[in-house]
Amino acid sequence: MPAFPLLHLYLTLVGARVRGQMQYRVSFALSAFGQAFITIIEFGAIVVLFSRVPRIAGWSLWEVALLYALAETSFSSAEFVGSALDDFQLRVSQGTFDRVLVRPLGAFFQVLAEELALRRLGRVLQGILVLILALHNLALVWTPDKVLVLALGLASGMVIFFSIFVLAAAFCFWTVEGKEATHVFSYGGVTLADYPLDVYADWLRRFAIFVLPLAFVSYEPALYLLDRPDPLGLPSWLRLLSPLAALGLALLARLGWSVGVRHYQSTGS
Amino acid sequence: MRLPALLALYAALVRLAFRRQLAYRTANLAGLLTNAFFGLLRASLFIALFTSSGTQTTASISGYDLQMAASYTWVTQALIMVVNLWNWWDIETTIRTGDVVTDLARPFSYLGYWLARDYGRAAYFALFRGLPGLLFGQLTFQAGLRWPEGPVAWLLLLLSLSLAIAISFAWRFLLNISAFWTTDARGAGGLYGALVLFLGGFVVPLRFFPDWLQPLLFSLPFAGIIQIPTDIFVGRLGGLAALEALATQALWALLLLGLAQLTVVFAVRRVSVQGG
Amino acid sequence: MRTLRGGTPLLDSHCVIRTHDLRKTFRVARRRPGLLGGLRSLVNPILHEVVAVDGVSLEIRRGEMVACLGPNGAGKSTTIKMLTGILVPSGGQVEVLGLVPSRRRKQVAQRIGVVFGQRTQLWWDLPLRDSFDLLRYIYRIPDARFRHNLDQFAALLELDAFIDTPVRQLSLGQRMRGDLAAALLHDPEVLYLDEPTIGLDVVAKHRVRSFLLDLNQQRGVTVLLTTHDMSDVERLCSRLLIIDHGRLLYDGGLDEMRARLGHDSTLEDMMRQFYERTARELLADLEADADPVPASYA
Repeated sequence: MPAFPLLHLYLTLVGARVRGQMQYRVSFALSAFGQAFITIIEFGAIVVLFSRVPRIAGWSLWEVALLYALAETSFSSAEFVGSALDDFQLRVSQGTFDRVLVRPLGAFFQVLAEELALRRLGRVLQGILVLILALHNLALVWTPDKVLVLALGLASGMVIFFSIFVLAAAFCFWTVEGKEATHVFSYGGVTLADYPLDVYADWLRRFAIFVLPLAFVSYEPALYLLDRPDPLGLPSWLRLLSPLAALGLALLARLGWSVGVRHYQSTGS
Repeated sequence: MRLPALLALYAALVRLAFRRQLAYRTANLAGLLTNAFFGLLRASLFIALFTSSGTQTTASISGYDLQMAASYTWVTQALIMVVNLWNWWDIETTIRTGDVVTDLARPFSYLGYWLARDYGRAAYFALFRGLPGLLFGQLTFQAGLRWPEGPVAWLLLLLSLSLAIAISFAWRFLLNISAFWTTDARGAGGLYGALVLFLGGFVVPLRFFPDWLQPLLFSLPFAGIIQIPTDIFVGRLGGLAALEALATQALWALLLLGLAQLTVVFAVRRVSVQGG
Repeated sequence: MRTLRGGTPLLDSHCVIRTHDLRKTFRVARRRPGLLGGLRSLVNPILHEVVAVDGVSLEIRRGEMVACLGPNGAGKSTTIKMLTGILVPSGGQVEVLGLVPSRRRKQVAQRIGVVFGQRTQLWWDLPLRDSFDLLRYIYRIPDARFRHNLDQFAALLELDAFIDTPVRQLSLGQRMRGDLAAALLHDPEVLYLDEPTIGLDVVAKHRVRSFLLDLNQQRGVTVLLTTHDMSDVERLCSRLLIIDHGRLLYDGGLDEMRARLGHDSTLEDMMRQFYERTARELLADLEADADPVPASYA
């Protein structure tokens, strides 16, 4: 019996899915290329903006690049692991979610193991590339605590975005039509985290710190790494709260999912 | 078909497409909220560009003042659904299901049929997605947006917009119809989506790019989909320069629609050989 | 409402499925017209109750082969969904193998098999063999047992011809046979079949039916199948459940029904007669109860 049975099962199941994907090689190559393109474009846009102005809200090109890299790496890695959650609404409306309830495994585990879009790895790698570039150009003074903040920041960012995906998918248990509105939180969220919070209106900043912890994906870790003072005058220990914020949102997502499944079992599809 | 009958048909198609969209109320509302939020994010960023030098506000960047730049983000946001930038696969779906065979056999222009429907759809989104979005921007931006000034500007805008829709339609048509010959039209569509965002001036106005690059960028068809109508709206383009831009749009529209018509001929041939 | 007990006497009279006054009510939101109405409906919806299952009580013993009949929308699928743990009942009790499905979903899932006629449980892009392999891991089937079962099913259902073909390339009959094998690899004690022979040709139907008979007789698997196909019923089942408008209208043996409705008629005729009679009886009930018959939803 394998040491980590659940992990082994997950890998076996997604392995099957990936093998299925591999049959469509041209499609895969095209998608991978397309994904690569998007990151280049977005980063290119930032470079173009900085060709016209020296700083944006007091942040330099490479500082903004750092924010972008943190946000994008977290987002695309969460998107990669949560590939199955994309068209979850389809599963619910077509009734294929029933299949999951008839098997002796957790429903969430099965849903997650149904898909792993390999083509998304490209964007993760690019995010990391931009991160390396930014860090190199910023010439930071590295200390062990900064390395820790960076690592935890990335991990927390991934958990935060993953939780948003889970909540958006759970939303599909109630309604299929409002799914598009959840894009505000997922795609809107990563767009928001791409740039310094200083740019946004007061209420939006507070929202990103206290309600939906998007600030903890990129901004707060960046402030710590760059030794920047907080423009809002918030306490400096806030910057270390990324893991806590991630945990909180993850718990909420867990709850949302359970409630959603229960609702599905009460009302059918 | 006779011309009056043909015109009546196209008018009917436009109306039908418009009405068809009216049914998707909740989806539209959700889309509106998404649009509004993204508009806020982008506008905030552009406003920050002007105030980046500490206390002093930059007067203009590449010929846009603060109000024009903020308006730029709101207008492009409103434009997304009107020109239908991406994710339109109606024709590809008919090719997969086989319905396209009956569509091609009808006694009127296949291209005209879909173009008319696109205009109907565009009209709906202009009214129910674009306009509310612009009003939202008007309310949230301090001084209000820069709207077209004078009847001439509005006329130029209308013409530019019509051409922009035609160009965007032609691209989407070509992508869709490629499904006759390739298995992954959607993959190419994704690529196109990224391309048009970048080269069309959505992510960043084309005028922000290096000066030496601009003549090339403006000669591409993508500029005619987003950049040119937006520039006319916010007053960056007017008079003779606007007419020149319109001429470029018209040229591309004709070229791409001509290409599209050619693919229809090939498609018909393929269908009659293969039987669908 | 008739609830006559029928069925052949069995050696082991242990009950595998037991329901008592099982109920399922759905609350369907009716949308108000217009855009403003749409908004209001989101905040304050008009809820409209639909009774899908209206007090079904039944007992199925180990080793029985039971057919569940009824028109579309009668409540058959909803009942099955409650038996498999997909839906939670609105009222009443249900026990499968001594467990409550909605509370012990995973334990129940380990001991039952389900075949949905219209939707496959197999992995679409992969060879059939791979689906079986994956299920081995999901159900934690010991290797020896897995091999034994697979060999036996492959022989009985003649799977070897297409076991290495991707599922999306299989014909309906082949896919159904694959689904059947898949549902049984983990030695379930109860098997639910939702329209198993729909769309199959005569030969395929025969194969499936012999397989099910063999399963029931050799392995003692309890089988509950919903079907519209009368020959399925005649060839396989000794006991009939007829559900309509969410109620169990008949629960008894096939012979018994024959005795009541006439020996010479075919099953089709009998069903038609039965429906006519029960329609009249229902109407009589109606007048007695003065309670409107709820709309069906399944």
